[in-house]
Order: sequence, then C-alpha cells, then structure tokens
Amino acid sequence: MNACVDLIERSVAPDASWIRPDIFADEALYGLEQERIFGRCWLLLGHESQLPEPGSFLRTHMGEEPILVTRTLEGEIRAFLNLCRHRGAQLCHEDRGVAKSFNCRYHGWAYACDGKLLAAPGEKQLYYGELDKEEWGLVRVARVESYKGLVFGNFDPDAEPLADYLGNMAWYLDILLDRRAGGTELLGVQRWRIPANWKVVAENHVGDEYHVGFTHGSQLPRPIESRAAPIPMAREIRPELGHGIGVDVIPEDISPGERGGFDEEVNEYLRSIAGEMKERLGEMRPRLFPIHGLVFPTLGMIPILNSIRVIHPIGPGEVELWSYCMVDRDAPQRVKDILVQRSIAAFGPAGAFEQDDSANWTGVTRNTVGHQARKHRLNLSMGLGHEGEVAGLPGEVGLTASDINQRGFYLRWVREMTGESA
Amino acid sequence: MTPVDAQLLADLQLWYAREARLLDERRYDLWLEMVDVGVRYQVPTRYLTAQGDVGDFGAWTVERELTQAADVFLIDDDYAGIRTRIERLQSGMAWAEMPPSITRRIVGNVEPGEVHEDGGIEVFSALMAFKSRGPRERSFLTAQRRDLLGRSDGGFRLRRRTVIIDDTVLMGENLSIIL
Repeated sequence: MNACVDLIERSVAPDASWIRPDIFADEALYGLEQERIFGRCWLLLGHESQLPEPGSFLRTHMGEEPILVTRTLEGEIRAFLNLCRHRGAQLCHEDRGVAKSFNCRYHGWAYACDGKLLAAPGEKQLYYGELDKEEWGLVRVARVESYKGLVFGNFDPDAEPLADYLGNMAWYLDILLDRRAGGTELLGVQRWRIPANWKVVAENHVGDEYHVGFTHGSQLPRPIESRAAPIPMAREIRPELGHGIGVDVIPEDISPGERGGFDEEVNEYLRSIAGEMKERLGEMRPRLFPIHGLVFPTLGMIPILNSIRVIHPIGPGEVELWSYCMVDRDAPQRVKDILVQRSIAAFGPAGAFEQDDSANWTGVTRNTVGHQARKHRLNLSMGLGHEGEVAGLPGEVGLTASDINQRGFYLRWVREMTGESA
Repeated sequence: MTPVDAQLLADLQLWYAREARLLDERRYDLWLEMVDVGVRYQVPTRYLTAQGDVGDFGAWTVERELTQAADVFLIDDDYAGIRTRIERLQSGMAWAEMPPSITRRIVGNVEPGEVHEDGGIEVFSALMAFKSRGPRERSFLTAQRRDLLGRSDGGFRLRRRTVIIDDTVLMGENLSIIL
C-alpha cells in the first residue's frame, strides 16, 4: 500500500502538470483502483429506458465486477453481483431480457428479481429447514440512484448521494438530459475491446480538445493549409474536480439548440423544441452545445454526436468500451434515425473518429510499459495558470483548449487513490 | 433440394473471390465498381439471448440475437457512407489504417438463395477476415454475410450486405476494414 502511495506521489505532479506512465502500467495500482476508484465512485449502470417493465434485466460491469441490474416487480431498479450466494456460480448468462426470477444452473438456487432467495432444492430434507433465506439473498450493490434517466451504482454504502457527487456537472448534464419533458432514451449497445489503459481513454474524453485538429484530420476540411488558423476550440469546463465537459457557445444569431452542420430535418426539430428548452433550461444553457465530457471515472460522452459510453477496465492494459446513442425520447423516429446514423458513422468501433482515437490510446498504452519509458514525464501543462471563470458558467473554465480537465481528472484520481478506506 | 445451377454457383464463387482479392489489395476504386449505388451495408450488434421456445429449434433464431428496435448497428452505411469511408483512407490522416492493415478475407460456404423477379439474388456466405499491423495489432473474426446481389451488365453488383459477426463483444481494436 505504501509502495502504491509512493508511486502515485512520484507519478503525478502536485498540480498535475505532468504525469508518469507508471500509473498506466502498474499492476498493484490497478488492483488498488478496483478498491478505491471502482469500489467507491458512482458508476453508470444504464438508463431507465433499458429496463422498461417489471422483470426487465441487463448485465453490465462495475470495474471488473459482473453486475446484474433488474427492475423489480414493484418497479424499483436494483443491482447485484451476478453470482449465486451458494457456490459463487454465475447467475445470469443472458445480456438482457425479462425474467421474474433467476435460477442458478449449478444447484438450482432461485432468486427473485428483487434479489431475495426464493428457494433452494432440498430446503427441508437436505438443509433441515435451517437455511436462512433472508441472509442468503443476492449481494446488492449498496447504492443505486438515478439522475434524470441515467442509473448509477456505488458499492460504498457511505458514498455521498449521486446528486452531490455530480455537483455542478449536473447543471451541464441537464442540457442533454432535461431539455425535454420526455427526457432521453439510450439506444445500443456497441461493445468492443481496446488494448488501452482506462485512464488513457478517460482523459481523452474529459478534456482533450487539442487532439481533434490532428487525430481527426481525416474528418476536417482539406487541404490542411486551409485550417492553419487555430480551430475554434470548445471551452473546457471543470464543473468539479474529475468531471469535465467541453462546450461550444452558440452565437446569438443562431437559434438556441441549433448549431449548424445538421441535416435540415434535425434543424427543424431543434427549432421546434427551442421554446421548450428555454422554458426548462433558462436563457444561458440552450446556447451551450456540449461537445465531449466525462463523469469521473468512466462515463464518457461525445454529446455532439449523441454518443455516451462506459469505459470498463479489463486489467491495466485493456478496456471494453460500451457505447450507446442517447436521443430525446420524444423526438420523431426519423430524427432519431438520422442522429443514430451520424453517431455510428463517427463513433464506435467502425466510426471515422473513434478508429483513430483507439489507435492513439493503444499506442500510448503499449509504448509506455517499458522500464525506460515509464520513468519519463508526460506533459499536461496546457493552459496551467490561465484558468478563469465565466459569468454564469459553474466551475473553472479553460478559456480555450486547455489541459484543465485532464489535470482535474488526475488530481481527482490521486485524491481517491490516497483517500482512507470508507 | 432445389437443383443447383452449377454455372450460377461458379459465377458467384468467382465474384466473391475477386471481391475479396480487390479488398485485400486495397483496390477500393475497383471494388466500388462492384457495388450498386443503392447499396445498404449493415453490421448489427449481437447479444447473448435466450432461445425462443427451447423445445423448438425453429425458434433458436440468429435474428433474436441481433440489433433490435432500441439498438444501434456497428455499421449502417448507404453508398455515400461507404464512399466517405473509402475517401477517409485517402486523406493521409486515417491513422488507424496508416500504414494500412495487412488483410486476408476468405469467403466460403457460398449458398445461393431466393431469386427476385428483377434477377437479384440472395446469397449466404461465410467470411474469415484477418487483419494485422504487426504482431501486437492482430485481429481475426468470422462472420456470416447475407447479401443481395443485383444483376447488371451481365455481372453482379452488391445491393445489400448484412454482416453478422460471430461475437457479442468485438475483440479487434476497431472495425477499420470493409467486411
């Protein structure tokens, strides 16, 4: 443990203006992350729309833990370790579906979708009626809370409430989640493995506006000389340490919610909901167009293309990305179809943007594992000391492209990793 | 069994072999000539899903496992989408394919299906696709292709392709090649 703390202090500058790639490759640190990051932070389980009826269930992960999420017959959403309390066998094997109960296929213990142990074969004859079924229900994820449709879980019974954890980030999330009375729905999921450390992927989502001009050169106007002038960058906002979001501010002469670049049918839709957005979000927020972001530690977002994703860690050198499209639930089907098609053309394993992102993440992870490479600092100094505030925007603001949010991410990571166990 | 049209089968096998070779040789320009402008190219997501009626093998369908109404595809391209995908490779900044992957597509199990009134023909086939950018960037997948080939100028043109990957979680780092 002390070795881990030493390594953390040696590997992240006090102001996070540099880090050493030790923190990507070290196995012991990865183990501690499972306890302190994935065991204590709020992690996305899914969306209420994915559990439409009593008995709906889905499988996911929290860190490396296999999780079963259910909607009980009473309508409450619960999450459990996906294992039978008897001998630890995997309980649910389907990715999703509807079931009133779950039978373990090893010895037949049966659980209700609220996690209660319903029956064990031979209860009377073999257990002499002495099996305490109250005690041997499924292991519940201590806390499950929703924020405007998004369902999060937390293993820590003493964790702060989800709303407090999101803090000022909620103000920005509302631009996506609360702009319409009907809320949102989550479509998907695309799942794929990338041989990259989870933090390399997360730091790209939280604040890396800088990479767009080069990594995504294949998707930007050509020739390259024609964009020699600085590309207008999103403002990088750090609503809370660890969370981050990049937003474009829509000029006054464009209708709120309409940023251009969309198909006419989408623009028409955005015009049609402008009044509703203003009513729900006020004057300022409809003018903010979220581009990218992250809810610490692993809920990544590219709202500009309707993509949200969970970065599931699979050991220090691999992630499994689960990517969804998020759309307004009450949008016309045609608008949803257009937005989904745009989204998956850009993001996901075959996306024109994400292919090149994943090539970067893989390269960073692979090429920093060596004894020599690990020793050397990597730079996160952009905009350090030039953070500011913008009236009406909660949080600290990078006034142009800036590493403010990557620094926030690593400072939060240090705070969680060195914090005392709850 | 419907009698096999040996000439049709040979023509199809040749078409698929040529298609695979052009893609492996990165002759996307020539490959595009094998594609109809009305094409739809889709790769669905796949899920572990319980059988329908477990006693009825007819209910153990692959379709149950694929992209449903509330899902998204991995790829859902029309002709313009495919062209964009290919033009991206010519940008000089498509880093995931620079240097280009070394690929090998092997297409087998070619099985002609229903013939439409306009001469279009449904074809099932199996695809093995290998991709390498050196020993630490290798991936391999197998899939079923469900194609609709239209007839034009005495040859075939791809009018619809659905690629059903034999996995629920894609194990390659990306899908940077055409399947």
